[in-house]
Amino acid sequence: MTKTFAQKALERASGETGLVPGQIVDAYPDLYMSHTASWRCIRTLERMGVDTLYDVDRIAMVMDHISPANSAKTAGDHRLCREFAERMGVSKFYDVNAGIAHVVLMENGHIRPGQLIIGTDSHSTIYGALGAFGTGVGFSEITAAWVTGKLWLRVPESIKIVIEGPLPPGTHPKDIMLRLIGDLTADGATYCSVEFHGSYVESLSVSERMTLCNLAMEMGAKNAFVPPDDVTRRYLADAGVEPDGYEELLPDAGAEYRQVVDLDGRALAPQIAVPHTVDNVVPVDEVAGTRLNQVFIGSCANAKYDDLVIAAEVLAGNKVAPGVRLIVTPASSTVMSKAASDGVLSTLIEAGATITNPGCGACAGNGGAMADGEVTLSTANRNFQGRMGSYQSQIYLSSPATAAASAIRGSITNPQDVLR
Amino acid sequence: MNLVEKILARAGGRASVEPGDIVVADVDRLIMHDLSGYLTAKVFEDEVKLPIRHPERVVMVFDHHFAPATERQAAVLKSNREWARRHGIHLFDCGSGNIHNVAVRRGLIRPGMIVVGSDSHTPVHGVLGALAVALGNDSHAGTVLPYGKAWFKVPHTVRIELDGVVAPGTSPRDVALWLVGQMGEGSMIYAALEFAGPYVKALPFWDRWLFPLATVDLGAKCGYVEPDEVTEAFAAGLPGAPYDRMERSDGGEAATVRRYDVGGLGPQVACPPTVGNVKPVEAVAGIPVQWAELGGHGGGRLEDIRLAAAVLRDRKVHPDVRFNIVPASREVFAEAERSGLVLPLHEAGATWFPPSTGSNQAANMGAMAAGEAMISTHARNFPGRNGSSEAQMYLASAASVAASAVTGHITDPREITADLDRPGSR
Repeated sequence: MTKTFAQKALERASGETGLVPGQIVDAYPDLYMSHTASWRCIRTLERMGVDTLYDVDRIAMVMDHISPANSAKTAGDHRLCREFAERMGVSKFYDVNAGIAHVVLMENGHIRPGQLIIGTDSHSTIYGALGAFGTGVGFSEITAAWVTGKLWLRVPESIKIVIEGPLPPGTHPKDIMLRLIGDLTADGATYCSVEFHGSYVESLSVSERMTLCNLAMEMGAKNAFVPPDDVTRRYLADAGVEPDGYEELLPDAGAEYRQVVDLDGRALAPQIAVPHTVDNVVPVDEVAGTRLNQVFIGSCANAKYDDLVIAAEVLAGNKVAPGVRLIVTPASSTVMSKAASDGVLSTLIEAGATITNPGCGACAGNGGAMADGEVTLSTANRNFQGRMGSYQSQIYLSSPATAAASAIRGSITNPQDVLR
Repeated sequence: MNLVEKILARAGGRASVEPGDIVVADVDRLIMHDLSGYLTAKVFEDEVKLPIRHPERVVMVFDHHFAPATERQAAVLKSNREWARRHGIHLFDCGSGNIHNVAVRRGLIRPGMIVVGSDSHTPVHGVLGALAVALGNDSHAGTVLPYGKAWFKVPHTVRIELDGVVAPGTSPRDVALWLVGQMGEGSMIYAALEFAGPYVKALPFWDRWLFPLATVDLGAKCGYVEPDEVTEAFAAGLPGAPYDRMERSDGGEAATVRRYDVGGLGPQVACPPTVGNVKPVEAVAGIPVQWAELGGHGGGRLEDIRLAAAVLRDRKVHPDVRFNIVPASREVFAEAERSGLVLPLHEAGATWFPPSTGSNQAANMGAMAAGEAMISTHARNFPGRNGSSEAQMYLASAASVAASAVTGHITDPREITADLDRPGSR
């Protein structure tokens, strides 16, 4: 029997064999990630009246949302997590300023190919960038996993996306994903394992693959996957993971896919998601000139080091347009370090950006809120109505290149017009 | 006449004034931040309904917010922006920095000016030889905006002379905190305070800043340092220089002089619940802190950031502490980055805030939970100011803040490093 990645990953995590899509299994995740919502898990555990954990080393906590705290209440939530981590011996605890959970865990070698990772964040599909099966669950499910070590999962069907490149100058993985989400729609991959293949995907860094897998969530994916290769292995080695510390799982040739999508990126123009859904995607040129109040370069989708480099290249020697606020929130402490050591941060500051500390920042409602009638162009992964403040405000989603070009002009701008 | 009297006489169109006289003066500069500016604009639009007489003299700086967390906050900023644009006043949006630092660095405060503002620490601009006074929001809305004027009772002047050589590791911030403790909160109601004496005159500009900053805590109307070559040199480097209105005292002896010997003074901490509750650092050393912050009106200058970098060289922020560093202005942040200070402090575990007033009043972020404590360079330590009313705020020097960030408890900076000599601790 030929198998997809999802079949192999869930066989590994459940110890069962011959799994087929639709089957329900008890799987044992390798890691349970919880972000600032960890306090909810802790309170749930208290209500369960349980204080013995299945395996404390599989717990990872990252204080990334609302970080630093913006009220006495959230400050108390953070403290509850800190004290719990100390008391229970949670060694994978990352406090305020470490960055966004997903990026922090990958950078620190806690995510490995073939693993099953669950997280209290819908964009946990991102772990597929390292060839892991990552999926988002609720905080009560995380709590249950803390205690029992397991979680039931239905084996998903798989969709194979084959992308050919290279992309034209000024276009990036975000543009590819927006086009794909626009084509397949928000429920086009509901509960499916989305595998990314093709020459373009092979050419990408792990950071760029994160953008693909992160955004797969926005077509409803259960998980996402990029086949591990030398790029993956080098990233893992840099993160301190020994080559014998993981098992790469690859789909078999001839595995069964519900759908195969071939996408030619070679003529792709920059894309943008317009209000109020992520699958409402058009070429940037169609909405060029739309006035902006704010530009946000942040989130687990697009605030990694290479994203900041892309933005800095566009912003270098330019100034943010009067009347526009540019907020840049590095995805992690490591990203901030790199940007501060090679002039990227300087370029952003000199252009007029407001740099906030590593974390989720405005994406998760801690900053960048909008009033009635305001418009933000964001590099994040969601543009739902009211997500950043007023219900009467608007969010557009784009690549860091489009965001930076638009910050300079004060209106939505095709980065190819600025770079040219 | 002294500097304050001369400025008021000129602004009131008189040959001379005396303490107790009432003067209606033309205001040269009105500065407001995002919170007070909103309230002022609302009264002005709802009740006054007149044009702004001199919009070019009015400045608004968004410093309590740098990236608002709620729709309500965003609506306040939007309203401010629209009001500022409609009337053509100066606006510095989120991330520009702390109101007073922005106003000075952009050349909007000049020697000899009459500066009014709704922030209670507005008298800090006396450091530039300006007459700077905090007024209420309604006064701005009622007289300053529509008529360009404010009325003042000419204050009596008290000269505070500081002399002596402080102990190594003691900064001007320690001396300023100590002075408030010595004199007592509210002890100088409606006085003009001249900060003088060999200790003050030997300080560079940004260290002198810390003395008029204390004016409001003493209850005084305004404070200043008599302009000298330090003032002139600093003012000459500001945008829009040179200035032609540098006022100086005639040289007469002030009616009241208070002399203080700061010889051998060590680091000081203003303890909860008020800024006058000042103790030597030894008296509170060992109290655990979960937060440390360089920022607010009393910190976040490049000097403070350099000092923090010196303390944290080869050291890490204690794991139980979040150490916030808040540059006082965009220029300070840019300069810190160019000077290579951002990376080592970040890697030592500090959290960089955007240029602003930082966690002040927890307006944007940086709130404390009940039972937590912060040591900071902020100007105020009232209960509930930064989150929970059950949290504690200790005010200290940049060195004490950085040292405490390393150890996790209030720490005498002299225990951490012996090479913290600063100007004034000769």
